[in-house]
This record gives sequence, C-alpha cells and structure tokens, in this order.
Amino acid sequence: MASSSKLLKLAIPLVRTHGFSREALARSVLELPAGEAHSEPLSDSAVSSLFGEGDKARKNLIEAWLVDGVRHMQKAEAESTSAPPTLRDVLRTRLQYNEPVLAQLPEAFALLATTSSNFHFVDPLPALHHAGRIADEACYAIGDKSLHLSWYTKRASIASVYTAAELHQLVSPNTAYAFLDSLLDKSAALSNSLGEVSLFSSYILKSWQGIIKSQGIL
Amino acid sequence: MLGRRVCRYSLRRQGLSVSRGLASSAYTSPTKAGDEATTTTPEDLTPQQRQLLEGALRVDQAGEIAANWIYHGQHVVLSRDRATGELIKEMWEQEKKHLAVMDKLQVQHNVRPTLLTDVAKVAGFGLGAVTALMGKEAAMACTEAVETVIGEHYEDQLKELDEMTTKHPSIPLLKDVIKEFKDDELEHLDIAVENHAQRAPAHALLSAVVGAGCMVAIEICKRV
Repeated sequence: MASSSKLLKLAIPLVRTHGFSREALARSVLELPAGEAHSEPLSDSAVSSLFGEGDKARKNLIEAWLVDGVRHMQKAEAESTSAPPTLRDVLRTRLQYNEPVLAQLPEAFALLATTSSNFHFVDPLPALHHAGRIADEACYAIGDKSLHLSWYTKRASIASVYTAAELHQLVSPNTAYAFLDSLLDKSAALSNSLGEVSLFSSYILKSWQGIIKSQGIL
Repeated sequence: MLGRRVCRYSLRRQGLSVSRGLASSAYTSPTKAGDEATTTTPEDLTPQQRQLLEGALRVDQAGEIAANWIYHGQHVVLSRDRATGELIKEMWEQEKKHLAVMDKLQVQHNVRPTLLTDVAKVAGFGLGAVTALMGKEAAMACTEAVETVIGEHYEDQLKELDEMTTKHPSIPLLKDVIKEFKDDELEHLDIAVENHAQRAPAHALLSAVVGAGCMVAIEICKRV
C-alpha cells in the first residue's frame, strides 16, 4: 500500500476536478502507477485512517497543495534561463498556480482558518504561515541578502503584497496581475522613501554629534 | 610590558593565521566566490538536521553580533589607555570578520536570523561598557568568561555537525570555519588571561554571572 504522503501528491492534480475533498483523496489510488493502481477509490474509513477524520483529511490535502505551490515556484526558478528572477516574476508564478482551482480556494482558506475545537473562532496562523512561506521562498529565489531585522521587514512586506494580490485574485482574477504590479511599485516607492528618510536622519544625527563635540560637552 | 605582550600575541596570531590557510577565506576572498560550497545549501538534510543547522547558524550569528558590541563597549571606555585600547581593537577586528562570515552563512543556508538582534547589541554594549568601567582587569575577565562559553559552544556544535550524513560540500566547510573561529575565540581567552583577567574584582562571581548569561542567551537565540 502506497504511503499517505505519496497518495497526497497524487491527489493534488485531482483538486481541479474534485476540489479539496475527501473524494479527491479517495480517488488518488486510481492514479498510482500500473501494477499498484486500485480499481476502485478508497473507502471513507480508509481515507480517515490515512489522512484523518472529517475535515482534517481536507486540511491535509490543502496543506499538501500549498507545499506543492512552493515546489512550483522552485521549479519555475530552476527552469528560468535568465539571471535571478525578479520578485514580480516569482509572485506571478505563484498566482498562476492558483488559477486552475480559484473557485475552490475561498472554501479551502476558510477551512484552514477554522479551528477544530468546540469554540469556533478564526485562526490567523495558517494564513500567516502560508504568506510567510511564499515570501521566504520568493526572497530566496531573487537572491535577497537582507540581514538581521531587515530580513523580517522584507518578508513581511512581500507577504503583505502577496496576500493582498491573492485576495484580489479570488474576487477579480482578470485584474490580479495588474494589481500585483501596482502593489509592488508602491512597496518599492515606500521602501525608497523610508531609506532616504533614514539616510537624512543619520546625517542630521551626525551633524548634531559633531556640534555637541565641538562645544566640548562630550 | 603590556605593549610587548600585545606585540608577541599579535605575531603568534598572524603566524597561526597564515600557516593554517583560513577556511573563512572562502567567504571573505572575492576570488573564491561562486563555489557550490559557499553559495548553496544541502537539500538532503532530514527535518531534524535542518532544524539543528538553522539553530546553530542563528545562535552563532547572534553571538558574533553580541561579541562585536561587547568589544565596542569596552573600546569606548578603555580607548584612552593606549595599550589596552589597541588590544581590544585587535580582538574586535577579528570579531567583525567573524560576523561578516556568519552573515554570509545565514544568507547561503536561508536561515531565519534571531529576532533578538537589537537586544544582543544593547546587552553586548552594556556588558562591555560596564565591565570596562570596573577596570581593565574586569573587562579582560568579561572577555575570558564570554570566550570560554563560546569556545565550548563551538566544540558542541562541531560534534553535532559531525553527525550529519549529507555529502554537500558546504557542511565540511562550515565545520572548518567553526574550528577556525573556535581557535580565534580561545586565543582571545588566552590574551584575556595573560592581561590579568583573574585579578579582576570578584573574578569568580563576575565570570559565573557573565558565563551563565551567555548560556541563557545561547539557548534563547537558538529558538527565537
């Protein structure tokens, strides 16, 4: 019997036709190579034992699909013939990965954000983890060399841009890429402005230090 | 007498540095840039090994940041004493090189840096300045305590890295870099002892407090 991780990988292409459902997981055994493939989908109890009860199985499938999205970004980067890709290219690649399953994504994200306890509240951690993972992969792909705290601010900025673009894509897929471009342009402009303010502030600080030293106070 | 000792240790360090062909030059020399060992990270590590590598590099980088700022704090206070100031400046320059290499390792292996970078800077500067204000022997005692902990910490890391089974060339290079840095830190420890670290007031208490603080900081920076 194939492992659950192998079956999860086989279930990912089935998301287009069967959504993030237990049925997609059940039918994954039909996609096994010849000799291993089953003639019928898995029973519900088999799906539960392999992937978890109820919505837990669906969450595992959604998580596997998200991980596959990162692999999709890595594969596109490896196939790129030019110098390190731009941030724009990398995030566009990831948005393209969403296109075949756009209709299923709102429910998938809602499911991830829902806790399994008796008290139903929105858990923001899965969304943050999703955006953070994509931002980190994007930074690695473009050869970002940020250090220390700027490592975090760079990734937070990219995660915010991507999250906004992805939400826009769910509502208006045709304008998603233009929206992404405008967000990246604004983010770059803001970053430049902040850099200039910081530089000017350092000049002022050094000037004051010089004035204070010349007065003999220090 | 202090000046002659500084001169002799400088020569010994230079002799050691030239003869062993520095592993860190793979990261500091522009002619060696672009090598697989310095630009890529192993893809075949187990999740536990990956976590270990990330924790190790995170804490090493944080430690070098703190060490830089400790020497900075000591130099601010003791720079008026020419011999001691020169000695501290020499050790500080080595730590700057260590930090530059650690920064490149962090980028190469795509490691999340510690969130406590600014805390490390403030705490390091404060520790260096306060011990320097207590006197140059106390500053040397602080260096002795910190370098003792760091030397042991690097030794433990080398043992952990020995257990990695990957054939990727970056890991043997990392081990060589850590060995080199461990030797540098132990040289600093020797210098501190030779410059009367053990004459510092309440030397045992000071060393215990600084050492314990370093160990707590190491455990926190591995995780945060």
